[in-house]
Amino acid sequence: MSENKLFTLLDSVTPQNFEQAMDQAIALELATVPTYLSTYYSIDRAQDQDTLYQKIYNQLKVALKNSEIDIAVLAEELKKDVLVYANQSAALIMSVVVEEMLHLALASNVRQAIVGPPELMKVAASPGFKFPTYLDGHEPEFWINLDTLNLKQLGIFLQIESPKPFTDSADFPETDEKPIKYKTIGELYNMIIQCVQTNYPGPYPKKPQLLPPTPGSPQRPYYSQNSINTVYYDRDHNPKFGSEDSSGALVDVYDAGSATQAMEEIRHQGEGNDGDKDLLKFDSQNNPVPLPVVDGKVQGLSGSGNYDSHSTDGSDEELSHFAKFMELYSLGIYYQNKFKGINGLDDFFSYFVANQQPNPKQATYDAGTSANDQEIALMNKLGNAIYTYIILMVETCYYKDESTQFQVFMYGIHKSMIWLLSDIGNAMRSYTFNASDPAKAFTPSLSFEFYDFSILGDSKKIRPKDQIINLAKDLAASNGSSSKSNWSWLYEDKAYLPSLPDVGLDHSVTANVPSIPA
Amino acid sequence: MRLTHNKIRAKSAAAEGQGFNPISKDLHVCMGLNSCQNKGYSGKNDCAGMGDCSTISHPCHTLNECKGQGGCGLFGTSAEFCHPSENECRYQGSCGAPILASRFIVQGPNKGTSVWQLARQRFEQKRSAEGKTFGPPPGGKFGPSSEYVNNLYKNQPPQDVSSCGQSGSRHCSYIEDKTARKVAADIRVGAMELESSQKMPNTLSNCPKNG
Repeated sequence: MSENKLFTLLDSVTPQNFEQAMDQAIALELATVPTYLSTYYSIDRAQDQDTLYQKIYNQLKVALKNSEIDIAVLAEELKKDVLVYANQSAALIMSVVVEEMLHLALASNVRQAIVGPPELMKVAASPGFKFPTYLDGHEPEFWINLDTLNLKQLGIFLQIESPKPFTDSADFPETDEKPIKYKTIGELYNMIIQCVQTNYPGPYPKKPQLLPPTPGSPQRPYYSQNSINTVYYDRDHNPKFGSEDSSGALVDVYDAGSATQAMEEIRHQGEGNDGDKDLLKFDSQNNPVPLPVVDGKVQGLSGSGNYDSHSTDGSDEELSHFAKFMELYSLGIYYQNKFKGINGLDDFFSYFVANQQPNPKQATYDAGTSANDQEIALMNKLGNAIYTYIILMVETCYYKDESTQFQVFMYGIHKSMIWLLSDIGNAMRSYTFNASDPAKAFTPSLSFEFYDFSILGDSKKIRPKDQIINLAKDLAASNGSSSKSNWSWLYEDKAYLPSLPDVGLDHSVTANVPSIPA
Repeated sequence: MRLTHNKIRAKSAAAEGQGFNPISKDLHVCMGLNSCQNKGYSGKNDCAGMGDCSTISHPCHTLNECKGQGGCGLFGTSAEFCHPSENECRYQGSCGAPILASRFIVQGPNKGTSVWQLARQRFEQKRSAEGKTFGPPPGGKFGPSSEYVNNLYKNQPPQDVSSCGQSGSRHCSYIEDKTARKVAADIRVGAMELESSQKMPNTLSNCPKNG
């Protein structure tokens, strides 16, 4: 499985390989974002509850001999199971995505402070950064797929964020290459921390970083733990928040102490506390063993009762990524078994997860011949371009003053993540690829492939933003009468693509925010 | 089709088709937050603070046209959520407008409380600091309901409260019976309005003084 490995490094982190070690850490963080996002976009978290109820009710009516009232009550209960779990899954996964973006910035701050700006585009363009891939240097190695929400995918998430080395599951044999020997992401960061404390005490020279807000500083609204996308509702429709307010922040890295703080934050958010360390066990089929669920609550956090009560002492410490995924995994198995035990019902996940294929490819979409397939191909290509542009914008922030950083972040990264990529990712769920052949038809999804802006950039001097707008125009022109969307808003509405900052591959930036109307 | 923006944009465009020009009016994000007489949505209000609805409509974070249009509550930082509609610049708004009474803050020490009430509080503070008067909001002291806004925009009223997974609104319920569902949703919003009102001193103290 060496073809998709990102790096080959030595057995320990030293000043000689420190830069490579930081690139590996950055690659780890960067790789998790499309992985988790692909699963997020597969979830219909806000479907019409009446349509869902009717579907379940009809299925029960055919299969059961119970009274009308019993069936109605059961259908309502099962509807809530689907709606609440779907929304909770999406919210918790998004809360992890947000923190992975934070981790990317924290690791990049450390790299910038000690050795120089992060080379995110180089990492994203590397031949190994393609899905399926596997976490570089992780032992045991295991495949990471872009995939829908399902139990296997949640099992992979648990392995990615495992707080404890594990040797079961996909324990592949050693390869001839010799990556850094670590068994969890946290252990990699421990080696880096040790190297920093021994060899790079600081103070470090001041260079552009993504910084936290401080009194008297310019505006720095770069990180917020929660948004509406990290909120879900319980069965009584009370809001639940995916992250706690104190769950982490950007760190200004200026010496070994602050570098350690940044990396400890990554380790802690991902893997959590010592209390979680024994929770990843595998059964005889090499599947993670779920925690017990009682009355819809996951049990088992160090004797505290409900797993999602967050802490034993009543503090607001939030669940780690590992713990969030363990909660979803355990509940997923619980509900899947519940649905399996009732005649007439489909698989639990099928009620809210799209029928998407793992590791989609642009080439597959390009080869489509059915109605809408060209539109789907262009939708995906535009999605890839925006995804790559986000990476370029983050990288560019490490070359620019605070004012430019603000413009790039607020008008570029926020808008691209929340609206542009998200709209395309969600819209693809309502299409069918290869619709003319029902046997091969499936719901398309973003492939998160690196989009090479340099091809047109070098030969025709077309800047990435203009290439994106051209793609949007191609997309708008591609859709025929059967199209479900009118894509022209992407470039006609100046609040969207036109107001993106114009960022070049050389990190040049034209903010391009139209003046404020008088 | 799940392109929420398209739907909101269509509503906004429809409003423009009714003679609504967002640039020509005093810009504000919701009912009761206008600065002058006849500067509400319909242009018929008597006094500052009595406008019937927002003069702008945009879906969310970073999509606002002008200073002072950020609705607030759903995307942004804790500091931004302390100052609904007080963004300094185009595209700096932290969320959509108009702000309904049911919208709650999702981040920071004030999460779970009403966005509109905080916006109104800021509005009243500003007017008072400038020695200016203001009147009561016409659609209720805790902010406009969706029925109020739909009626004003001449939209079809929602048939039920059916899809609330990602709405950012407390006005929802999973009860199957639609009458009971609406009652439960109304009660939920009412409880949040009351709680937010009681918590307002705390809400204000949670926000940085000059933040």
